[in-house]
Amino acid sequence: MIHGFRRKGNPMSVELEASMLVRVQQENFSIDEELERVRSRSRRIGGIAMFLGTARDRSKGRDVSSMSFDHYEGMAQKKLKEIREQALRDFDILEALVLHRYGPIEIGENIVLIIVGAEHRADAFQACQWCIDELKKITPIWKMETTPEGDVWVEEHP
Amino acid sequence: MKIKLFGMLKTMVPGGKDLEVVLSEGGRVRDLVHSIQIAQPQVGELLDQRKVLVSVNQEIAHWDTVLDEADEVALLPPFAGGSCDSWVQEKGQSDVR
Repeated sequence: MIHGFRRKGNPMSVELEASMLVRVQQENFSIDEELERVRSRSRRIGGIAMFLGTARDRSKGRDVSSMSFDHYEGMAQKKLKEIREQALRDFDILEALVLHRYGPIEIGENIVLIIVGAEHRADAFQACQWCIDELKKITPIWKMETTPEGDVWVEEHP
Repeated sequence: MKIKLFGMLKTMVPGGKDLEVVLSEGGRVRDLVHSIQIAQPQVGELLDQRKVLVSVNQEIAHWDTVLDEADEVALLPPFAGGSCDSWVQEKGQSDVR
């Protein structure tokens, strides 16, 4: 059991709150709001690590003017939920949030967000890196970049 | 049986819609792959190279998995951020044929 949580609530609201911590959505997100969502989960949090993936205008030597993400509705959410749950089990952390957008995304916009809260920074950093690495490996999301040569589906990224 | 397509597969299949495959009762994923190899050789080649995997009910399936008409089946090209090799190794898909 994790101590220091601010909210207990009924099972329905706890479930709703947990679902807000794992989302695949088309609309942009507010980093401040998501940060607060994690911070408010426990007064014991002493370090928060964050990874924000954004849309860049160059990829594999090609200019990129825009991009779009396809996703497998249902399976993508399921995999993000698995990532959060495994991170909570395997690392000494208090909370983790995992969000990914789909649909058309303009250069410079937010794509993916991981926020991890822990008592100490080392655990937060490690879990945050593991979450984004795992997300890229197992989440059924596909990126198409628009380049001067046409639309290109991206197969892999380090 | 309808087969969901994602990413690059939508642009490889005429119309970009789901595939429709007829399987006999007790058919397995390997039978499905064989049907796709005949109907859509380009997609079949990617399946053969393990660049595209098959999921059944939102989990990566083995080629011996028996399919039911009610199953949700999809073809998954390499994900946006993952190396296909590590993905296949982690899922233990390299030895399933």
